[in-house]
This record gives sequence, structure tokens and C-alpha cells, in this order.
Amino acid sequence: MVFDQLIGNFKLGIDYAIEQLINGINIGGIYALIAVGYTMVYGIIELINFAHGEIYMLGAYMAFTFYVMLHLPFPIAVLLSIFTCMLLGILLEFVAYRPLRNAPRLAALITAIGASLFLQNLALIIWGGIPKSFPEQTLPDFFQSPIITIHGNANISLLQYNIFFITVFLMLGLHLLITRTKIGTAMRACAQDKTTASLMGINVNRVITFTFAVGSSLGAVAGILAGLYYNIIKHTIGYVAGVKAFAAAVLGGIGNVPGAMLGGFVLGIAETFGAGYISSPYRDGIAYAVMILVIVFRPSGILGRKQTVKV
Amino acid sequence: MKKLLNFRLLIFISILAISSALIFAACEKKPEPATGPEEATGPIKIGFAGPMSGDAAAYGEIIRNGIMMKIEEINEAGGINGRMLELVVGDELCDPKEAATIAQKFASDKEILAVIGHVCSSATLAALPYYKDAGLPAVSPTATNVDVCKKSEWMFRDVYRDDFQGEFIAKYAKEVLGLNTVAVFHENNDYAIGLMEAFKKGAEEVGLEVVGVESYVKDTVDFTPQLTKFKHLAPDGIFIAGYYQQGGLILNQAKKLGLTSQFMGADGLNNPELIEIAGKEASEGFIASSPFVYEAAGGEALKFKKDFEAKYDGMTPDWMAANGYDAVGIIAKAIEECGADRAKIRECLAGMNTEEKGYKGITGVTFFDENGDCLKPAYVSIIKAGEFVAAEKQMF
Repeated sequence: MVFDQLIGNFKLGIDYAIEQLINGINIGGIYALIAVGYTMVYGIIELINFAHGEIYMLGAYMAFTFYVMLHLPFPIAVLLSIFTCMLLGILLEFVAYRPLRNAPRLAALITAIGASLFLQNLALIIWGGIPKSFPEQTLPDFFQSPIITIHGNANISLLQYNIFFITVFLMLGLHLLITRTKIGTAMRACAQDKTTASLMGINVNRVITFTFAVGSSLGAVAGILAGLYYNIIKHTIGYVAGVKAFAAAVLGGIGNVPGAMLGGFVLGIAETFGAGYISSPYRDGIAYAVMILVIVFRPSGILGRKQTVKV
Repeated sequence: MKKLLNFRLLIFISILAISSALIFAACEKKPEPATGPEEATGPIKIGFAGPMSGDAAAYGEIIRNGIMMKIEEINEAGGINGRMLELVVGDELCDPKEAATIAQKFASDKEILAVIGHVCSSATLAALPYYKDAGLPAVSPTATNVDVCKKSEWMFRDVYRDDFQGEFIAKYAKEVLGLNTVAVFHENNDYAIGLMEAFKKGAEEVGLEVVGVESYVKDTVDFTPQLTKFKHLAPDGIFIAGYYQQGGLILNQAKKLGLTSQFMGADGLNNPELIEIAGKEASEGFIASSPFVYEAAGGEALKFKKDFEAKYDGMTPDWMAANGYDAVGIIAKAIEECGADRAKIRECLAGMNTEEKGYKGITGVTFFDENGDCLKPAYVSIIKAGEFVAAEKQMF
């Protein structure tokens, strides 16, 4: 039955495969942007920031609020939204995680789950339960209809093209930031050993604040892109996307930034091909199955290194 | 890392354990059957169970408004035999688990004599055992799944069934729209699966070829893989079986992928919110069957529409609001004729079994067969310039 379907879907040809690949790259890019935030924070303070998915959700809501409710021009609304989410990320770290910096890890984890629930319900109170969407005129029409031909019948829209482009651009920027700048070096130092880093004169608190700021900004960008392309802004979207992105971070090797990017794309493409070739209702299952298979053979993820246990 | 994953598993398992224990405890506690009539002076309470928040909140709001219109009308005219009507609203998010909780609450509140609800079929199917055990009559204004009324003699509805509706749309697609091939896109729930099966059956009868069936789960926001498949199968029409929120997203994403097939849907998509979510351009020309169209019903219905818009500042009532309005009328008629008592109300409802004995409301005459189902015609609406209007060609 499933096998017949698989053969039938292969008969749809190469253009179909290309279009599904593009769908996968789109959703994968969004997962990758969120996953980077998870992985950076984990790398430095070994905390899985469960509230990160909510920052993604708030990014979409903020852009909607600035653009639709306050009638600001769209680019300004986007920048303001990213800025607001950056501040929120910093605030979250300051209020919820900093007081627990030296507490048992479980306490911080439970706080993170609590912060996630708090932000979700806050969004429900502020914007209500009825989903929002950006108006059709947000982007010009030529931006949203498939006009670029890649191969035969496979067409993509400028919006899809740009999602990919923006994602890759931000990833490269982040990579340069971490490898080439002073603050990036400080981040890597803190990830290796916080105590020694502070003995060397690095202001660890500032580095952690910076990490949260960068991760939250990228999360907000992901939220806005998803809001534009998938057309939905709802208080629960952060949960589903957050879980997927967390899986992507684990798949790539938690704590490893290029790994998180790779994990996001792998998960997105696996999910889309699972839906397009095997079975659409089981798409999430297929994505997680891919993740589990990788973890079985490489427990520390695709690019993760074996970690020595700290005593 | 390992420790963390174990911890999450532990949390997950404990949540499961606690919730199943709660459900068990809930199932153990059988509400006592209602006793005889109380003092006949206080208000008569009627329950309404539906989604007031969450994905399907637009249904709940519009139906409750329709219900309140009728209740206020009755109360202004002096109530039923001198007693006022009072509405108790239960929010169940269209979720079967929540629906069961609300149903128990209503069943054990002896003052509630009848229930209007539930809204979604899966929620109704989850709730009806509790009404059956407690002997509480319920009239659903919107649950169209085939099995709903068969399962309980306490369950009625003033809306048609999906087997009728699905076949109707297939016939309309072939005979009026002139389509030859279709694909079906459905949600994985009781309502949509029943509808999809009925549609396929109808398609077979009229010689409409179904070239593909895809489905989605409730929380999906990305429909692009399935839509991409439809794009390459290139059917003349695509039938969406599901609710308005996902329907709106599907229409919007289909436009972005460049699909040109004629999209169709059923009553679940016939909600103004669909246009809000999809956008005006993406929803233009979308066709949906509907139990009721104001323009076609005329007189009383148009007056209701005008009053409704005046009362709820410009909100346009849909077919659900009208069915909710009539559901109150049906229950009020039963109370008036048989008395304010759960069992007597049920008897009276079951007695409305011919057109003469039926209730004449704005949606036409409602009368029930031995299951509690009613026979009502189906209409077709089309979206023009951001509004649902009656399609030019109807089929009766």
C-alpha cells in the first residue's frame, strides 16, 4: 500500500522532487534559525531554553502589531520586532535564568518550561485566541507568486527564494561573528570553561546576555518569515516549532552552531519528503525517525563531539 | 544531555499518568439521574457547549450570538410559561477530551434541562455518552458526522448529515461546475474522514475521478508538501474536508504555490473567518456547501440577519448562527408543550417526527427521524469579493 504510493509518487518526476526539496529547505531554514538559538545558549550555560520557541512566536506577533495595528511601514515593523525580541531574550535571561545560574540544572530547566508557558499565555491574553495573519498586501504580489523557473515545471516565488537567501546570509553572519570577532572568541571561551574565561578577564555575564540577544533576534526573524510564508500567527506556534528546532539542534549536535543549521535543514527536508513521498499525516513521525536513527549511530549528533563529563 | 532527556520523558509519563487517572476518576463518577421538576418559578437553564477559544473559536462565538438572539426574544415576550431562559456556556475548544469534561458538568447540574451542542462532530461523539447516562437531551446545531444521532436516543440535530452533504458536493462539482477529476485534502478527524468517504462515494456515482487523497493533522501550519503534490497531479478541482482555520491556510499557501484548481469545501469551511485567514485574493471563487443560505430563505431569515448585524456591530451571521437560533426555538417549543423536565423534553423532541409536527424556524421546518436526524436541503455558497454569497446555480 505504502509501497505503491511511493512508486506512484516517484512517477511524478524530477520537477516534483525539486519543488519538494524547496519546500523542505524553506521550513528547514526556519527550524535552523530557531535551532541556532537553542544550541548557542546550551553551549554556554548548558540550559535548554524551552522559552525560545515562544520568542519565535512573539517575533511574528510583534511584527504583526507594529505593522497592522500601529500602521508602521513593514521594514520598520520588522526591525522593531527583532529589537523587541532581543530585549525580551535579555530580560528572560536576567529574570528567569540568572538568579538560578548556580542552582541545580533541574531548577533552571523547570523555570524554562514555566517561562515558556507564561509567555504563551501572555500572548493569548494580549492577542486573543483567534489566529492572526499578515494582510495580502504586506508584500507585493509578484513577490508571492511562483515566477522563477528552476527546471521544467518547477517554479518558486521570490518569497521562497528570499527565505533561503536570508537564512543562509544570517547563518554566515553568525558564523563570522563567532569565529572572527572578539565577542565571538569570548563566547567560545565561555563555552569551553566559564571559570577560566572569567579569570582571563572575560565578563561572563555580558557574554551570556549577548548570546541570548543574538539567539532571540534570529528566533524573531524565523517567526516573521514563517508568519509571512505560512500565513499564521497563533500563540501555540512556538511550541511545535520549538520542539522541532530543539530536535534539529540535538540532531546536529547540541552546542554546535553549524550542526544546528545542518540539523534544521536535514529535519525540514526529511519532513517534507516524508510528507510528499510516503505519507502526509506521518510527516512529523518521519522527521523524528530520521533524528532517532542519527542519534542511535552518532549519540552526540552529526557534528557534535564526544563530551567529557565534568566532575 | 542523557539526564535531561530522561527527565523530559519522566515529566511526559507523569503527565500521562495523572491525566489518565483523572479521566478514569471522571468516568467512574456517574452523575445521578435528574429528579422531578423543581419549583417552577426560577429561570430555565440551557447549556451551550462549543469552542469559545482555540482554533475553532469563531464557530463558538457566532453560534452563541445566534442562540442569545432567540433567548432574548423569548424572554422579552415573557419567557416560557412565565419562566425566563438562561444560557450556561461551556468552552470545550472542539476538543473531545474537553468536551467530555463539559458534558459531565452539564449532566450533573440538575438545573440544566437541555443542551445545545456540541459544535464539532468529534466533540459531540465524545460528549454524548454522558448525556445518555444522565438522561439529558441535546440538540446539535452543527455536528454533521453520520453516527452522531444513531448512538443515543438523547441526541438530536437540526443540521443535515455528512453522507448527504459529501455526495451533494460531488454531484455539484460534476454536474454544475463540469469538473472531471478531483483530489481530496482532509483533516484526520471524525468529521472530515466521514465527509471524505461520502464525497468519494458520490464522486463514484456521478463518474467524477478522484486522482489523489492527502490528509493533515490538526496542528499543521505547513501544507506545502501536499499542495505541491496536488500541483503536479493537476486535478480540475480540490475538495477540502476540514475546518476554516486550516482551510484558510490551505487556500493561502495554494495561491503562493501557483495552484489553479477549483477549490471546494463543505459546511466547516463556510465561515467568514476563512476569508480573513486566506486573504481576499486567495479565497476568491471558493465554493462551499452550506445547510442554509440567507438570500435563498428570504423573509424571516433576512430579518434575523439584519437584527443580528445591528446587535453585534456588523458581524455577518452565517448558517451556524441561524441553526443555533433555531435550536433554541426547538427546545423552547418542547418545553412549552411537554413541561420543564429533561425526560419530557426528550419525549417532545422525539414526537416532532413529521413535517406538520415539526418546528418552523428561519432555516425551514425541522423534524426528526427515529435516530434524531433531520432532513434538510443543502445550498451552495461562493466567495465573491471577500464575502460568502449564494452561488448562482443551486441544486435541489
